[in-house]
Amino acid sequence: MTPTPPTVVVVPCSGIGKTFGTVSREAAYELCEELRPKSTRLMAMAKLVLGEPAAQDLITRHPAVTIDGCKQMCASKMVKQSGGTVAREVAVLDVFRRHKNLKPEGIAELNEGGRKLARVLAEEVAESLDGMGQGVKGGGHV
Amino acid sequence: MSELLGQKVGIVACSGEELAEGTVARLAALKVLNELRPRETVTICLPLFLAGGAGDRAFARVHPTITVDGCDLRCAAHGTERYSSKPAASLVVNELVAECGLERPEGRRRLNAAGQKAVEVTAERLARMVDQVLGKKAGTLPPAEASASEPHGEEREVTCSCGSGVPVTKLEIGGKPVELVALPLIFQKFVGLGRKPDEAGAREVFETVKIYNAVPAEAEDSYREAVGREFAAYCQKEQKP
Repeated sequence: MTPTPPTVVVVPCSGIGKTFGTVSREAAYELCEELRPKSTRLMAMAKLVLGEPAAQDLITRHPAVTIDGCKQMCASKMVKQSGGTVAREVAVLDVFRRHKNLKPEGIAELNEGGRKLARVLAEEVAESLDGMGQGVKGGGHV
Repeated sequence: MSELLGQKVGIVACSGEELAEGTVARLAALKVLNELRPRETVTICLPLFLAGGAGDRAFARVHPTITVDGCDLRCAAHGTERYSSKPAASLVVNELVAECGLERPEGRRRLNAAGQKAVEVTAERLARMVDQVLGKKAGTLPPAEASASEPHGEEREVTCSCGSGVPVTKLEIGGKPVELVALPLIFQKFVGLGRKPDEAGAREVFETVKIYNAVPAEAEDSYREAVGREFAAYCQKEQKP
């Protein structure tokens, strides 16, 4: 019997006005709904801003993956400020630099390049999570 | 205080990724910002109040804000009030949906038809709230008022994925680097009122600077002097053809 993988909390950027914020959100949905629905849990960053008790509890008990849309790295900072452990810290821009053919456009609705970039990002994170079965020891960049 | 940024309202959306109502809040905010009231609104991501700099925390002191939340947790409303300033108005999507007798939205990633309808209704309500906050009658706004001209000489905050930013100026005061928010906007306002960089003008400017920035009592004289110098330089630049 395969051991149950640990739950990982996924916190995307909550930017509403730029494409990279939308890519981060789309990647988080792709990861949590399609690729690793059983071992991940999406968390809205707004709850951490508010200090909502259930969110605080969850973030301190489980490792987190943060997906940020810009260099302010709000998601990563918020998880750390909330007492959580950032197991994987992803910046959309870094992933785009490695996949420049996938140029994202659109905010409310991503173009095909944006959707593919989100998929690639989510796949990279999913693969990295598969190696986390032995527990998280500090963070790392994807 | 909205006169500092040419009568603009800040929209802060919860962006709650876990719920369809959060998606409704985000898309409705975007519709107001980009389509319904593009000249009258600006935005900031909620987390920037904590993760950003002084300019982000001053956001609600510079703009009157309207928050739009997906659910009763009201993260945007409470977060804005806690870390910046009390919102001028607030809206909660699930309450609005119930009030209007709409079907509950579904599909946090891709909204269903009820969700799309909720976006329309929420955006229209938000736009009306913007008009109310600005003291204008709904539907009577001019289509494209010229936005405030770019302020001079400031170093703008790095804008983030929400595309916002309040200007922050770095000054050396008492031998230390200090960040002051909204200086160019304050200067612009007082120059527009015909104030000069004399003692009276500098005093008025400094009183306004203190509204938006924390000035330590023991360093007030140094701050006043530095702001006065900056105001004089701004006025000199303004006079050049």
